[in-house]
Amino acid sequence: MTGEGGPILDVRGFSLKFSNAPEMPNVVDDISFAVRAGETLCMVGESGCGKSVTSLALMGLLASPPARRVAGTAHFEGEDLFAMSERKLADIRGNRMSMIFQEPMTSLNPAYTIGEQIAESIRRHRGIKRAQAREEALTMLRLVRIPAPETRLDAFAHQLSGGMRQRAMIAMALANSPRLLIADEPTTALDVTIQAQVLSLIRTLQAQTGTAMLLITHDLGVVAEVADRVAVMYAGKIVEYGTVADLFDDPQHPYTIGLMGAIPSVGKREGALSTIRGSVPSPSQMPRGCRFAPRCPFAQRRCFEHAPPERKLAGEHRVACWLAPVEQFAASAQREELI
Amino acid sequence: MTTPRTLSHGPGVPQAANTATPAIEARALTRRFGGERHLFARSPTVHAVNEVSFAVQTGETFAVVGESGCGKSTLGRLLLRLIDATEGRVFYQGEDITHWHGAKLRRLRREMQIIFQDPFASLNPGMTVGQIIGEPVAFHGLARNAAERRERVAQLLSKVGLQPAYADRYPHEFSGGQRQRVGIARALAGEPKLIVGDEPVSALDVSVQAQVINLLESLKAELGLTLIMVAHDLAVIRHMSDRVAVMYLGEIVELAQVDELFDAPLHPYTQALLRAIPAGSPRERRMKPALQGDLPSPTAPPPGCRFHTRCPHAKPRCSEERPLAETLAGGRQVACHFWRELQNAGSSAPLVASVSAKLSERLTLYRAWQATVMDMPADRPAHAPTDIPTNALADAPTETRGGTQAVPDSPGPTAAADR
Repeated sequence: MTGEGGPILDVRGFSLKFSNAPEMPNVVDDISFAVRAGETLCMVGESGCGKSVTSLALMGLLASPPARRVAGTAHFEGEDLFAMSERKLADIRGNRMSMIFQEPMTSLNPAYTIGEQIAESIRRHRGIKRAQAREEALTMLRLVRIPAPETRLDAFAHQLSGGMRQRAMIAMALANSPRLLIADEPTTALDVTIQAQVLSLIRTLQAQTGTAMLLITHDLGVVAEVADRVAVMYAGKIVEYGTVADLFDDPQHPYTIGLMGAIPSVGKREGALSTIRGSVPSPSQMPRGCRFAPRCPFAQRRCFEHAPPERKLAGEHRVACWLAPVEQFAASAQREELI
Repeated sequence: MTTPRTLSHGPGVPQAANTATPAIEARALTRRFGGERHLFARSPTVHAVNEVSFAVQTGETFAVVGESGCGKSTLGRLLLRLIDATEGRVFYQGEDITHWHGAKLRRLRREMQIIFQDPFASLNPGMTVGQIIGEPVAFHGLARNAAERRERVAQLLSKVGLQPAYADRYPHEFSGGQRQRVGIARALAGEPKLIVGDEPVSALDVSVQAQVINLLESLKAELGLTLIMVAHDLAVIRHMSDRVAVMYLGEIVELAQVDELFDAPLHPYTQALLRAIPAGSPRERRMKPALQGDLPSPTAPPPGCRFHTRCPHAKPRCSEERPLAETLAGGRQVACHFWRELQNAGSSAPLVASVSAKLSERLTLYRAWQATVMDMPADRPAHAPTDIPTNALADAPTETRGGTQAVPDSPGPTAAADR
């Protein structure tokens, strides 16, 4: 751990299951990570890897049943979110811990103005007067650089563009100066020029407020742009974890390597893209051993039979793979062949 | 660098890259929506596509790129005659098809096909995959009887890397990538010469996206297709296309060979678009967004140059006078009054992510091992116990049928060698 005090969010050994399918394997399986003040942890993975379910579980937004926590703790500023009463959680949510969703159109209420929605959250948590809350909401809209904020305050969600809606969501999420912000694919629905604006906004605001951020994305470009630390998820497991430099300079897990090779480069074309064969396994067909084994080009018998434990590498870097680093494995495999 | 040969052309004058008859050509193509009279008011007119001209050569991959609402999908549909143009003309292999209808248009449909973005919304959930792909086969009279049709469907399925046995399944039984393969098989059913891909990979996960890109490229090489890619992902476009048209609010602002465009974008919008791509490496982060503000509404496009409201270099002339597309040496086009002055304005070429030595070594190994696994489909059980779900491997093309078809996932020489 680095020296800047304890983490804001500390998740350990978290596993989740859906109780309507008790015979199936955990949807999220034994994941651990921490987010510190002023830092961004990116959780990256493809659809169905469990990244969004994890964020919803942390916010207490998953209906339970069917969702059921099987194991693990999630300490937020020292208190376990999973052990908290619903009332206490409601006090924290939108206040010290808030969330930005992917599609701002469906997460904003179409029947209330933007100003009312931001003010509601301020009044709920700070108990201040209506007029004062409206004033605060205006300040927030200025902060996220919405043009003509005085008129937007009385606008409805459908009257705003996609980029502006997402800014309004960010204004709402930051209205009570949260210690932790969970952002689930905040820029996925946006155009690339608007995405650049929103990412830069998030980065600036974070530097000003010291908010810790858990950013969920499928886009390694976004990770490269904003992450301090990265957790790569595959089929409910964190297969690799480390600083953003660890991940991009020294990717260890074959899934991470495959993912990086599958992204087309904006540079000169270099032949066909690498692919990861097949597709993500459904929970009912979860492989017994390493969950990536059926798609991994290096997979050995051991990989299919036993799930690899997480191994610590230099610093915070850790990987769950029997064969990493692959160049060592490949060299030894070649030696065996020669004999 | 190109030495500009200043030949000014109005937007209505087409510029072909060479003298051969283009596969498809748009001349001053315009489409407006709305503007109908209602009880008390007129609905606002959306200027979706405005006087767009270009020509696509046979065998070329031509990309149309732009942000949402720029008119790129409308343009794709105009070319295919799925919607009608308000003004302007479409030529297919030299023939004016703008007003074709009836049997003539139906014959044309066989030659020109489309692949849609959302593979779930574009497949009928009540039909089996065999029926979905078999329908165009029957419609175009490519099978004399049911047995022939089944045979043809099986061929098409294995061509796109799916097992022929999947013909009896329904779309919901497939993953996103597999569904997109079904969409491609359907598009191929009439043996088309030209395919428009409307964001064909943007709904897919990264690893699956790469499979579909490789599949499209090897099919294109194998069948000699002309491909028009409508997309917003600049990296996908750089990877796949030969030439690129950049659209902004219904107009083409720049049209160039893919390398020219990415190495030295001329139009300030292209420059901004390229600078907005995330860096790709944590050491090369962009600190400042390239553009401020949102896309103006296409119901009230700004006067003069449509980009002037967001352009960092805008001058008074830009809001008064519409810039005409200027054609440079080599057929490159740019529509900006001040492109010469702006050429070196904004360190515009995107920073290419530097790949670390370890990543590049491991990627090489990854590809090599992947290739050996692909070459030996029967080899797999040597390592693996028999209870591996076969479905997990279903996308892998070698799992389908011997090596007779293109193998889309292998780093195939067919796709790469063509460049």
